[in-house]
Amino acid sequence: MEAVLSIKNLTKNFGRIKAVNNLSLEVKPGQVFGMLGPNGSGKTTTLGMLMGVVNPTGGEFTWFGEEPTHHVRKKIGAVLEHPIFYPYLSGQKNLELNAMIKQCPEANIPKVLELVELLDRKDDKYKTYSLGMKQRLAIASALLNDPTVLILDEPTNGLDPMGIAEIRELIKKIAANGKTIILASHLLDEVQKVCTHFAVLKKGNLVHYGPVDEVGKGEETVEVLAEVENFNELLLSFAGTSSINRENGSYQVAMRDGFHSKDLNKFLFEKGVVASHLITRKKTLEKQFIEILASS
Amino acid sequence: MLHLLKIDLKKMTSYRTFWVIGGLYFLTLGLGAASGMEFLKWLARTFEDFGQKLNINRIPLYHFPDVWLNLIWSAGLLKIVLGVLIVISVTNEYTYRTLRQNVIDGLSRAEFLTSKILTNLLLSLISVAMIFVIGLITGMIYSPSLEIGQMITDLEFFPAYFLELFFFLSFALMLGILIQRAGLTIIVLLLFPAIEGIIAAKVDNYAPWLIPYFPMRSIWYLIEWPFPRYAFQEIQDYVKLSSAIIVIVWTALFNYFSYLKLKRADI
Repeated sequence: MEAVLSIKNLTKNFGRIKAVNNLSLEVKPGQVFGMLGPNGSGKTTTLGMLMGVVNPTGGEFTWFGEEPTHHVRKKIGAVLEHPIFYPYLSGQKNLELNAMIKQCPEANIPKVLELVELLDRKDDKYKTYSLGMKQRLAIASALLNDPTVLILDEPTNGLDPMGIAEIRELIKKIAANGKTIILASHLLDEVQKVCTHFAVLKKGNLVHYGPVDEVGKGEETVEVLAEVENFNELLLSFAGTSSINRENGSYQVAMRDGFHSKDLNKFLFEKGVVASHLITRKKTLEKQFIEILASS
Repeated sequence: MLHLLKIDLKKMTSYRTFWVIGGLYFLTLGLGAASGMEFLKWLARTFEDFGQKLNINRIPLYHFPDVWLNLIWSAGLLKIVLGVLIVISVTNEYTYRTLRQNVIDGLSRAEFLTSKILTNLLLSLISVAMIFVIGLITGMIYSPSLEIGQMITDLEFFPAYFLELFFFLSFALMLGILIQRAGLTIIVLLLFPAIEGIIAAKVDNYAPWLIPYFPMRSIWYLIEWPFPRYAFQEIQDYVKLSSAIIVIVWTALFNYFSYLKLKRADI
């Protein structure tokens, strides 16, 4: 399948600082692509180059196999950093202006306003909106031309837990329609919940690139608790145990390859012990992310 | 092209400051242009206080064809107001960061600049049309006889007036794009003629032939001060082609500098 976005050796220097260094990656149709990295790792600069507001120092990229021009940008919906609108215009008027720039019908406006639940505030000036409403209006504006690709940069920045949940639901809803989404974030939990693929940037370098599914693979950890004496030793005698850690009153058992939680459960049962608590822990993206950053 | 003009007008027409400044400009333009007779009457009264008599009917301020150049020259003084309006319009795009979002949304940088230049053209044309209408009305009221030959004399100053306005608005637009902050840009816009004057005075000692090429001087030479003609002095009552060419070249350069800056900047 042809890549939606293909980046080759993209580089941006600000003076002596290498903000993005020789970045190459591809985003395929239908992916929800997470871009991770600490603050200042070059995520926004990369997206800025892809959207024509930052001039690259070197390298190239194509959208839908085409050279990037402003015509191509009209097919992409993007919110970089924070929402930007004319504060003295109403939400509706701002979207009308966006529709003129993107050359798409104004008839789309009520649809997107409804999606982000802003219909009843559409005639109020943008400057009167709360942060969450501003973020939602930005998403509405990005969706206005029914883009095949959506770029969101920290869409939940500064939102309260309710707002975060709302935006996350919205992203899932949009992804379910088959749109390709590129999501830059430093909230790992968020990326793990919504993304299919992810890339990790560190000081402008690409240090990891792959599907999110693979994060959970590899060794399993089982959290277990039983009210018996010398439970520790019992667990150690299990053939599948590679190491044991005591945490928060329960035991974290790292399993050897090929062993799973059900093997441990069976073992305990055969020994006449009934576990009062047993949870399989997969490795989180957070853990993997920190490992990636530490090892690079 | 029309599409780009509509985009910029959409930004402006819901902006209250635009209507306030634009309204004040056209109001002052209209009132100022129509109040020349009052000025003459005041002048006559002042003369009388000194025991002199001034026959204001012998000063054909509003007679065809004098009315054209008199009005055009006076209206030129107000162009600074339109300049400030343009500065606010473009620096807002930087302070609100909407220029960035416009580009992200699919406007090219050249299109963005074109939309602003088209607004400059439109405002210049409206001013020209307004002065033409005021001149026509006042001329018809005050001229002793309406001869078509008199009426169409000096109309060449209208293209010159248009050039003057478009030159100045292009200059304001360029300053806004280079400086990006409203307050500072407006100060530079206001001080520039004075700064240029000081430099020109120095240059005058060494290379006087350079003076007509100074940007603000070039519009000064395009439409010269007409009132000394009522004190029996010779004035330049035609548009010098060389002056027009200098103004056109400066205008093109201003817009080209704007384009270069926009193209190269990370926004």
